[in-house]
Formats: sequence, structure tokens, C-alpha cells
Amino acid sequence: MEELDGEPTVTLIPGVNSKKNQMYFDWGPGEMLVCETSFNKKEKSEMVPSCPFIYIIRKDVDVYSQILRKLFNESHGIFLGLQRIDEELTGKSRKSQLVRVSKNYRSVIRACMEEMHQVAIAAKDPANGRQFSSQVSILSAMELIWNLCEILFIEVAPAGPLLLHLLDWVRLHVCEVDSLSADVLGSENPSKHDSFWNLVTILVLQGRLDEARQMLSKEADASPASAGICRIMGDLMRTMPILSPGNTQTLTELELKWQHWHEECERYLQDSTFATSPHLESLLKIMLGDEAALLEQKELLSNWYHFLVTRLLYSNPTVKPIDLHYYAQSSLDLFLGGESSPEPLDNILLAAFEFDIHQVIKECSIALSNWWFVAHLTDLLDHCKLLQSHNLYFGSNMREFLLLEYASGLFAHPSLWQLGVDYFDYCPELGRVSLELHIERIPLNTEQKALKVLRICEQRQMTEQVRSICKILAMKAVRNNRLGSALSWSIRAKDAAFATLVSDRFLRDYCERGCFSDLDLIDNLGPAMMLSDRLTFLGKYREFHRMYGEKRFADAASLLLSLMTSRIAPRSFWMTLLTDALPLLEQKQDDDIETTKVEMLRLSLARNLARAIIREGSLEGS
Amino acid sequence: MVSVINTVDTSHEDMIHDAQMDYYGTRLATCSSDRSVKIFDVRNGGQILIADLRGHEGPVWQVAWAHPMYGNILASCSYDRKVIIWREENGTWEKSHEHAGHDSSVNSVCWAPHDYGLILACGSSDGAISLLTYTGEGQWEVKKINNAHTIGCNAVSWAPAVVPGSLIDHPSGQKPNYIKRFASGGCDNLIKLEEEDGQWKEEQKLEAHSDWVRDVAWAPSIGLPTSTIASCSQDGRVFIWTCDDASSNTWSPKLLHKFNDVVWHVSWSITANILAVSGGDNKVTLWKESVDGQWVCISDVNKGQGSVSASVTEGQQNEQ
Repeated sequence: MEELDGEPTVTLIPGVNSKKNQMYFDWGPGEMLVCETSFNKKEKSEMVPSCPFIYIIRKDVDVYSQILRKLFNESHGIFLGLQRIDEELTGKSRKSQLVRVSKNYRSVIRACMEEMHQVAIAAKDPANGRQFSSQVSILSAMELIWNLCEILFIEVAPAGPLLLHLLDWVRLHVCEVDSLSADVLGSENPSKHDSFWNLVTILVLQGRLDEARQMLSKEADASPASAGICRIMGDLMRTMPILSPGNTQTLTELELKWQHWHEECERYLQDSTFATSPHLESLLKIMLGDEAALLEQKELLSNWYHFLVTRLLYSNPTVKPIDLHYYAQSSLDLFLGGESSPEPLDNILLAAFEFDIHQVIKECSIALSNWWFVAHLTDLLDHCKLLQSHNLYFGSNMREFLLLEYASGLFAHPSLWQLGVDYFDYCPELGRVSLELHIERIPLNTEQKALKVLRICEQRQMTEQVRSICKILAMKAVRNNRLGSALSWSIRAKDAAFATLVSDRFLRDYCERGCFSDLDLIDNLGPAMMLSDRLTFLGKYREFHRMYGEKRFADAASLLLSLMTSRIAPRSFWMTLLTDALPLLEQKQDDDIETTKVEMLRLSLARNLARAIIREGSLEGS
Repeated sequence: MVSVINTVDTSHEDMIHDAQMDYYGTRLATCSSDRSVKIFDVRNGGQILIADLRGHEGPVWQVAWAHPMYGNILASCSYDRKVIIWREENGTWEKSHEHAGHDSSVNSVCWAPHDYGLILACGSSDGAISLLTYTGEGQWEVKKINNAHTIGCNAVSWAPAVVPGSLIDHPSGQKPNYIKRFASGGCDNLIKLEEEDGQWKEEQKLEAHSDWVRDVAWAPSIGLPTSTIASCSQDGRVFIWTCDDASSNTWSPKLLHKFNDVVWHVSWSITANILAVSGGDNKVTLWKESVDGQWVCISDVNKGQGSVSASVTEGQQNEQ
């Protein structure tokens, strides 16, 4: 047995805690059944109390969440759009399309988060509220991870722009700044507010130096004594060289300028220029990238990746992507300071900084409760040509593996299964067979649903499934005495045997009641009549009745004659045919030819009758 | 994430031996030492008793649902040496047929793939396996394989239907030539593969267990030429048997795991990617095959007190 990274988790099923009884397990089509049992088959079970409960267990229960449904539906549309992106597209235009897809996915996550957040706030039951809040955190973590993957793997930001993207990333996810800003600026005397310096510090930590400068000018106005040093600090902030989008400097030029600026800051520190203001001095140290100073702001930073990005901003703004992981690992270690261990989210982000895509996907698979995230992200990364195809058992690759798992989960849901169909379509190796296995298990409670399922099968030439489903529906119809429905289903299934069975029922009904049901159907059989002899007979017999009703006695007579002389009339029906012939025989015909026909009829009848009597020994021969 | 979505109180008065969902997951059939077979409607997390079927005179060991295209049909087998086929007609469940052709307890029943027709295989402690084929109008034809296993047969499992040769759409009414196969496990420590070629004959003997084979399960087909069978035994071992090519007929066993206790039951999920193993150690373990063909335990499902929200580590893809 292969070594796993960890022991498999144990899932406890609540029930009688008995050491004596064993556990029975079986698979349902979408769920699992568990109950207590005793496998030792003896006639009398030992005097052990037995438990009459059966537990039905399901994974993928997220499928039933109302809010997540939107996530599933909308991402389905994005997924399809991605599959259809022109394969011919290369280079920049392809990349920008892929980035757009990534942003679309992320906006769907954010929309879902927002909605769930509203529900969490509005929840009357605190337990529910907590549950929704925790879901919001999970979605937020998902978006955080996806965003980072977008920057590193899809955007593939090079040194320079990389830092800008990372800054945006942090700003998007550490949003206490905005509420803090509103508090402080909304007050009468912003620079005297308790949180004033916290606000300025966090603005600096996030590289929002323009805003920090504005804050400082308020301070300068309020306390003229410190106006001088505020101005100096403001200048430093203004002159920090940073790569802005559209800037034409080269990286080397930027590095040079930054080096000079850094040295200037250093000089101010050496000269103790800001000694009179501890706040300003600490800001200076931050801007010099002093680790200790940064770590003092742990609370404002709130997490290690914020610490990482700030560190990079003020010590190595032109960091190269391949060097990220050194900084990432050390940032994590420094920030945690040995007081706590990394959480799953930390490990995932670390793996991303290490450009270890497989590790990211693996850890996400473990940490998350459904396959949505890893399936869609992996698919997108595969489109970026980032996944080497590792051949799993079954011969499919990881993308397909995850999509199959996700789609299978959708089939557990009474309407989301339709989304699953499209995902299976885009799994070249096992998609079709998986679809075949799952689609047969969809309960066909309504005609509408049945037709929907059939349409899907027919579109994909899944003839076996079509036949099987039509047979099931035909059988159901027969049991509910809806013979017309049964007949049309058996025709659609091209099931001759069943068509024969249903036709027999029709004929029997006729014998009992003297009339046909579902005349429309039988009258319009067309070429389907050829499916089975019995069906052909049914159609032709009905035609005979129609002709008789229209007083086309001559035609009716010859049809009846052909029915009797052909081999398709069931023996049980001969009596009926003969009885039908009687009125015809008594008809007075004007035309000579018609008379001849009728004579022939009489003769044939007599002959047949005689033969029948002799052969069967009785007219009731079946 | 795994959650209990429904707890069905079957009100069985004695040990439950089998519980089977129907094809669509809407109905649950259970059977017990209290001699009854019960059917519940379990849609939407509810439970409605549809039928309480009495007819067996001893503990009922297994139930099996037939394919819905034949209607609502359930088979049950019991210590009382009988196999009963129950059918729903006009909204009520009734005994449709009784097969009493065995000399001792019938331990296992399994319906053949629907492509073959309505055929039921029954394995008994008298060592024989009987095959009941529905021929129409309430009639069942019986074929018996005597002495399939010395001492007794504990389990039967059909191979999925595979059409040999070309896959051209056959004209209506003409059945393609299927080779019907099933696997059986017995008290002779063997797994036997039986094949119908006009007559039923033993095609293969699979030997690897050192004690009674308690269960066999033939994996559903996923479109590959490989065939897979799982077997478990009194000797605590579970083997996965694979045959790479339909024509080569060589089966190679791979030991999934050696457990510390008897392993009683193995079953495949419907897309054949997870194998569940129920052991004597009060646990059910779930197994998946990883990249390099090794079988990996992905979860332990354990009965006991405690909450259910422990997360299940599914889908470990070890890319090494």
C-alpha cells in the first residue's frame, strides 16, 4: 500500500456506540448506505441488541446550497466559453483572453461571497449565521488563492509588474483600511484620532504613499511644530521610485533610482532627523524595509503574506518571480515567530509562491469540501498549457480526473445534473462512459424530464441509453395502463418485443370493450408499423375499421381478406376477424366485381374455418 | 465532506443483513433476521414504508433490485433455502415467484445486466448456483450449476455486459451475441468464473485466498478492455483481480490489504472508482487506485459516537 501524506480521516457515524456490532455498507447511485449488522450468518443471532436504523450518507452536499448554486451555474457558462476559445490564438491575445476568464471566475466567487455575507448578517438563527460566515471565509480564501494563481501562473507577471500585482492583491484582501479611513477622516480632528497613526502606518505598509502623504499634511496643519519633519517625510514618500504601468523605464534604471532613494532614507535615519517623532521614525524604518520594524506592525499587517509583500516593496521591489519563494518561506517563519504552525491556507499560498502547481491543487483538494475550485482552476491552468499530463490510472490526466469528480457530484442534484453533462462532454477519455453510467440513474419522474434526458442521449448518439430509457418508460406506462404512451415509447426504443406486448394489450382491450383507445397514435404509425408483426396487424386492423366506418366496404373487405390470409393475425384474433367479416358478407353489393370479391371472401372463410376446426380441434385455439 | 442526510428507522425487529437502493436512489429495500423484507420511499430525506413483505421462514440475507425496464422487481434470498421474487403490480407489492430448488441456505442473489434479459443468479450453502431466467407470462426457467463450490457458495456477481466484436446497431428484435459471465466465491476458498456457451461451464478458478471467500464484486465497466474483480475472505485479505484483455484470460491478483479480522463485504461505486470494504473490525474503508496502480485507502468510515462533520480526504493524486 502506498504511503500517504497522512492517515486517512475517520468519519464517525452517530449511532449506538457498540463494540459488538459490525458495520454494513453499500453504494446507492449517488449516496452511501450504512447500518449496523452482524455478518456471521447464523439462524439465530446472538442476544445482541440490534439497531433498526439505516444511515444514508452523502458527500457533495454543497450541491444543495441555494447560494452556491449560482456559483455552479455561472461558472458553468464561463467553463464552456473557455473550452471554445479558439485554439489558434497564441501569444498575447490568448493570454489576455485567459486572464479575462480568470477574472470572470473570480468575480463570480466574489458575487457569491457578497450574497452569502448578506444572508449571514440577516440570519435569525445564530448557528446558521455562523455557518454562513464560515462559508464566506472559505469563499474568500478561494478567491485569495485563485487571485495569486492568476498573477503568478496566468498573468505570469515579470519582475517589476510582479510587485504591483502583488500589492493589488494584498490591498484587495486586507480591507480594514477602508473602514479605518472612514472612521478617522470622518472625525472632527482626524490627526488627533486614536487610530490616526495606525491608519497612516497601514497606508504605508500597503504602499499607498499618496494617501499617507495627505494624512501627514493634516498632521502638519494641526501641529505646526512637526510641520517640518512631516514635510520631509512627505517628500520621501513622494519621491519613492516605483514602476507604474505604462512607464518606459527599464528595470535597471528603476533599480538604480530606487537604490539612491533608499540611501537617502538611510541618511535621514543616521541623522536622527525624525527622532522627535517616534511615529515618523518607525515609518522611516518601515520604508527602509527594516524587518524588526515591520514585525512590530504584525497586528496591522494581519497576515504573513501582507508582511511578505510589504517587505518586498521596501527591500526588493524588482524581485524576480523565481526568487519569491525564498522571501515567502522566511516571511512565514518570521511572522509566525514559532508561536503557531502554518494553516492549510498558508501551505497552499507557499506552494503557489514556489510555483508548485501540483502541490497547490493537491492541498486545495484536501482542504476544500467540494471539487468546484480545483476542477475549474486546473482546467484553466491546463488551457494555459501549464500541466504536464501525468497519466493516472484510467489513462486520463489530472484535469480530466478533477472534472469527472466535480461533474459526478453534480449528478446528485435533481437539476444541476444538466450542467454535469457539459463537463463530461469535455473529458475526452472517460467523459462519455461516465455520462452513460450517470445519465441512466436520473429518476424520470416527469415526461418533461424524460424527454430532456433522451434529447441529451440522442444528441450524443448514446443509442443503448436511449433504448434502455425508452424501455423503462414503456414499462412504466404499461403498468399504469397508458397503452398509447407505452406504444410510442416502445417504438422510440425500437423494441419489437415490447411493441408486440403492447399491441397485444390493445387488441385484448378491443376484444373486451369493442373499441380502441389512442386512435390518433395507431392511425399515424407510418413506417413504425413495421417494427413488429403484431404492431403491423394492429395498424392494419384499425385501418380496416376506419374503412368500414367510412363505408368503403369493398376496400374494407379486401383488407380484411388480406389480414386473414397473411400470417400476421394472432390466432387469438381469428374469432374476432371472422365476426367482423359477417356484416360484410351480408352486405348487398351492386357491382359484379364486388360480388365476386365477396364470394371469394365467403369461400375463403369457409375454407379457413374448416381448416381451423380441423387443425385446432376447437375454435378457441389460441 | 460527508454528511448523514437521512436516517431511516426500518423498525426491523432483528439484525439487518442487507440494504439496497434502487436504481435511482428513490427507494430503499432492507431485509433482516426478522424474516421480513421492507421497502421504503426515501425521497427528499423522508421515509415512507411502502411494503412489509412476509414470506420467508428464516433470516433473509440479501435483496437485489432488478433493472427498472422490467418494472419494479425485487429478489430476496434466505436461510429458509428459498429465493422469492417480489413485484409491484398496480401499486401493491406481491410475491411473484418462489424458487425452492436449494438444499440449504441461499446466501446471495444478483441480477444479470439488463441486456441479457431478466436473469437472477443465486448462490447457496449447498454449493450450487441456480440461474432463473424470466421467459414471460409469469414463467421462470431454472438452470442449476451443481457443486459450483464444495461446502457452499457465499457470493455471486455478474460481469458487465460487453458486446463482443463489432458494435453495429442491431436491427430491432435481434439480440447481439453476449457471452454471459459471472463470478462466484465459496467455502472452498476459490473464486470461480462461470461462462455460458450454450451451457454454463466453469471458465476459470482464481486461487489466492486461504480461507472462505465471503464476497466477490465485479467492477462496472468504464469502457476499458480491463476487467476487475474484488474479493474478500475469512483470511482477512482483499484481492483485486485484473484481466487486461478479454481474450487473454489471465487474471492477476493484487493484494489490496490484509486486515486483522474477517472481511465480509466489498462493493464498487457506480463509476467503479471507489471500492468499499466492510470488515469485522467495525469499520468500512474506502479505497481508490492511484497513479501508479497502487491501491490507497482514502477514508475510514467508523460507527461510533461523535459528529459527522469530519472531512474526508478524497482524491489524493500522488503525482510522484
